[in-house]
Order: sequence, then C-alpha cells, then structure tokens
Amino acid sequence: MKTTTFNDRKPASALITMAVASALLASCASVPVQPAGAQDARSKLMQLQSEQALASRAPLAIKDADAAVTLAEQPQGDLELAAHRVYIADRKIDIARAQAETKLAEDQRASLTAQREDARLDSRTREADAAHAAAATSAAKSVDLQRQLDELQAKMTDRGIVLTLGDVLFATGRADLKPEATGNLAALVTFLNSNPSRTVLIEGHTDNVGSSEANLSLSQLRADSVRAYLVGKGIGSSRLAASGKGEAVPVADNASAMGRQENRRVEVIISEPVAAL
Amino acid sequence: MFTSKEHRASRLGISAGIASALILTACASTPPAPTAALEAAQLAMSNAERAEAGRYAAAELAEARTKFAAADAAVLEEKMIKAEQLAEQSRTEAELASARTAAVKAKLVNEEMSRSTGTLIDEMQRNAGEKP
Repeated sequence: MKTTTFNDRKPASALITMAVASALLASCASVPVQPAGAQDARSKLMQLQSEQALASRAPLAIKDADAAVTLAEQPQGDLELAAHRVYIADRKIDIARAQAETKLAEDQRASLTAQREDARLDSRTREADAAHAAAATSAAKSVDLQRQLDELQAKMTDRGIVLTLGDVLFATGRADLKPEATGNLAALVTFLNSNPSRTVLIEGHTDNVGSSEANLSLSQLRADSVRAYLVGKGIGSSRLAASGKGEAVPVADNASAMGRQENRRVEVIISEPVAAL
Repeated sequence: MFTSKEHRASRLGISAGIASALILTACASTPPAPTAALEAAQLAMSNAERAEAGRYAAAELAEARTKFAAADAAVLEEKMIKAEQLAEQSRTEAELASARTAAVKAKLVNEEMSRSTGTLIDEMQRNAGEKP
C-alpha cells in the first residue's frame, strides 16, 4: 500500500503541474476577446436603455436585444458566426428602438387629442364670449338710445321716434327760429350725429287760427326752417325731409287756448336705422 | 435446401447493399438546407411588404431581400451554415423594416393631429382678430 502510494505521488504531482500549466494556458487562450463590433452593440443598447421615455416602452424587445448582445459578446473563434451574432444584436437594438418610438408616439396621441379638444372647446368658448359680448353691446346700445331719447324728450310711436317741438321755437306768425330755441335743437343734432344711419322727417303743424292756406304755408316754412338749421349744423340734407301739414293734423282741441298751443308744433319723426329697413 | 441457402445469401447481400448505400448517402449528403430559417425570413419580408415597408423603410426591406438572395445562393453552394445565418439576418432585417414602418406611420399620425390642432388655433385667432 505504502509503495503504491509513494509511487503514485510522482504522477500525481506531475498531473497537478500539468493541470496548473494547462489552466494557465487555457486562461491565456480564453482572455475574453470580444468579437469585433460587440462593444459597439453594447454601447448602442446602453444608450437606448438610458432613454427612459423609450426604454420603458419596449421592455420585451430590449430584453431580446440584450440577450442578442450578450451572445455576441461571447468569444468566438468562428469569425463568421461572431460577425453574424453582432449583426443580429445590432438590428435587434434598432427594432427595440423603433418599437419604443411607435409606442411613445401612440402614448403621445392621447395628449394630442386632449390638446385638440382644448382648442375646440376654446374655440366654442370664444364664440360664446363673442356672442355674449355682441349681445351686451347691443343691450348697451339700446340703453344708450333710450337715454338719448329721454334727453330729447322723444316718444316711441308707431310712426317711429317722435320728438315734438313746441311753438316756443317761433314767434307768432313767423317762420324763423328764435335764437333761444336752438338749445332745444342741439340735443337733436347730437342724436343725429351719433346715429348716422337714421333719417328724419320734419313736419310743421298749426292751429286753426287764420286761413288754412296761410297755415299750410306757414307750417311748411317752419319745417323748412328747422331743416335748414340742422343742415347748417352739419346733418346731411339727404337725411332730412320737411313737410308742412297746416292745421290738418291737430293733436288737441282748437277750442281752447291750451289746445291751440298744443297744436302749434313741429314734429321730428326719426326713422329706424337704415340698416334695419 | 440449396435454394433456401442461396436465397438467404442474396438477401444478406441486398441488405448489406442498402445499408452501405445508406451509409454512403449519409456521408456524401451535405447538411440539410435551413428550410425553417428561410421560410421565417420569407414570412417576415411579406409581413413587412404588407405593412408598406417599401414606402416607409425601403432601405431595410431591400437589405432583407439582398440577404435572402445571398442565403439562397449559399444553399446552392451547399454552405448551409452560412445560408442559415444569412436567412436569419434577412428575417431580422425584415422585422426591422416592419418596426421602422410602424414608427414612421405613428409619427405621421401625430404630426397630422398637431397640424390640424394648429390650424384650428390659427383659425380661431384669425376669427378673434377679425372681430371689432
């Protein structure tokens, strides 16, 4: 037994030596030499993995690419096989990136849809606002008109807006305006200037004192006189018509002095705006 | 008796012939063509074509076809390992063509959406500008 053991020792140590030597040799031979291009593939994959927005969207394709890169990194004596593996790894990374980009685009679509809805909503809101503003403007205009009419002491009638100027404008039997009467007409000038689309019919009326022919003539002259005054204040003559009605259209009983005074008048009938006609 | 002996001998001879023929065939035969890999490449290419890769990833699709033609050529040269590798490359390239086509299409849809939203906003601003 002893001899056997002793005899066995030499070959054993020789075996160990050989094993160590071969291990050294093996380690020399297998110094991990990565196939050409494998390192590039790894960097390319790491780049994709570092782009969080993309990496999170194609986990399976990236895992697949990772496996392909790992395989490509294995030392390989067969250069064609090594190159093949690098090629496949490279394309798998490209596939993973493309898939991630597709997914990203699809995910962005939700926010694009939301943006479009916002824009649509905004558009409708603006339209509503504009309509509201227009309504407010028109309401303001009508309030404004009412205020102006109040200033004129005019009345809405079925003939339009009627402003009645009393006989205080004229001296008895005369057709020229009293100088102090122009204050009453100033409000009318202001109104016509701020409502340029309105036209005016000026009607002269008298009581029944005197001949009807004379009254007709006088009423025409007085209406003309008011018209001339307005033209002189810059109101376009085409907007102004004057007509004498004489004693034909009384508004009160001529039997009393008060009634006659009411009948001596000039009526200014203001049309609706031309645009509305 | 003779006949039966002769018969047995001839039978043995025949089986030996078949066996040797089989062995010879096996030795002479090249590895089988990588049919599965070639079919997979063909399928991947037709998928890519259906997805309009010819329009959106033409270079990748052309590369896949080139690789496939090279694989075919390698089969004819009986270089089956090379043929299989080329078929695999063709298939991967075709899959890349499909993936890139999908990405381009998805981006185009988004661009179109952005553009129409932009138009809507423009119109709105123009309308708002026209209002007195």
